[in-house]
Amino acid sequence: MTRYSFWAKVRPAMTLPLDVLAQRAKGDGLLARFGRDLDLALIVGDGDLDWLVEIERGVVARVTRGPLIMPRSDLRMRAASETWARFLEPVPPPGYHDLFAMRRYRRIQIEGDIRLMSAYLFYIKRLFELLRPREAGA
Amino acid sequence: MNAARAQVEPIVGRYLNLELLGRPHRLYVEEAGQGIPLLCLHTAGSDTRQWRGMMNDAELLRDFRVIAFDMPWHGKSSPPAGWQSEAYRLTASDYSAMTLAVADALALDKPVVMGCSIGGRIALVFAIECPERFRAIIGLQSGATIDPYYELTWLHHPSVHGGEASAAYVSGLMAPTSPATERWETLWHYMQGGPGIFKGDLYFYRGADGDIRERLAGIDTKRCPLYLLTGEYDYSVSPQDTQLAADRIAGVKFSVMPRLGHFPMSENPALFLSYLKPVLAEIKGRG
Repeated sequence: MTRYSFWAKVRPAMTLPLDVLAQRAKGDGLLARFGRDLDLALIVGDGDLDWLVEIERGVVARVTRGPLIMPRSDLRMRAASETWARFLEPVPPPGYHDLFAMRRYRRIQIEGDIRLMSAYLFYIKRLFELLRPREAGA
Repeated sequence: MNAARAQVEPIVGRYLNLELLGRPHRLYVEEAGQGIPLLCLHTAGSDTRQWRGMMNDAELLRDFRVIAFDMPWHGKSSPPAGWQSEAYRLTASDYSAMTLAVADALALDKPVVMGCSIGGRIALVFAIECPERFRAIIGLQSGATIDPYYELTWLHHPSVHGGEASAAYVSGLMAPTSPATERWETLWHYMQGGPGIFKGDLYFYRGADGDIRERLAGIDTKRCPLYLLTGEYDYSVSPQDTQLAADRIAGVKFSVMPRLGHFPMSENPALFLSYLKPVLAEIKGRG
């Protein structure tokens, strides 16, 4: 039996710059248009690292870096860090350029409230697009 | 407003009243150009506006009469009387019969037929069942079947805006390099689709009725030339998916379109035309 070590979980490698998401989301017209009345607790998995993104009334209210302790969530989207790295390229290659493209090739795990995801899919896709380098400062 | 700057496009739209599948229908048809008739079939859940780039290309219109119609329930075509008590579900046989009926009603003489996505699938059905009806067949984003990767429930549900959901579901199918204006125009068409129509089209596309893998070997490209073009960013019908179909068809001409996705004619009309024109020139050259 492998002995559990919480030290190993403290700083896993990360690819998605979710720490800047709230800043980049501010004033974004597309989020404002498609995020009407959205309340969402979204867990984003980047390899071994989970983040909790909390949206309140369409606004990115809090972004919490894991490890998370028994968080409540509506939706969970997790992929390998290598997959996110390709997604983040300024012109991502086919199959990595969109959440559903990654879904088709089974590169992303999507689970939770799929009704909510469907109703706000433009908003959710935009959140991830904002993490691309070319969107910085946009 | 500066009237001198206003421009009228060459596209002309009219309504066609005809019987389809034993019921009266009112269909919207538009066309531009003259010469070889080129009948264009739009994708699931959309309408003729997807072909606006082709219908505004002066060079193309010199030799081709480009014609497109909104399928029943789509665009400016009406659903049949009594629709309020029905669920719309497209089938291969209905789709084929309607398209051939429209071609007959317009008295098209051996047109070239070009369809995209579900239109690309039915183009393969035409190649199997009635190649003699056409001068040439062009399938865009054509596959013999599809790998389902999402749940259809939420495309037509009272608690979700079906237009926005449908548009968001297909939004990633376009190349990230396609111009934003054209991509969002393409998505607007989806947002305007009638409730449940995109889902109803997918009944044909994703169901056993539309799976034609075992029928492809019956295509004889000597009876009618068949061209397949697929955008590289499409993951609904990927280039690999079209290749799997092309591998079963002797004499087919298949090419991948770099920097395009699932809606080539609408997401980036100029780039699409650069891939399409050599194909049309070859068809024209055959006489």
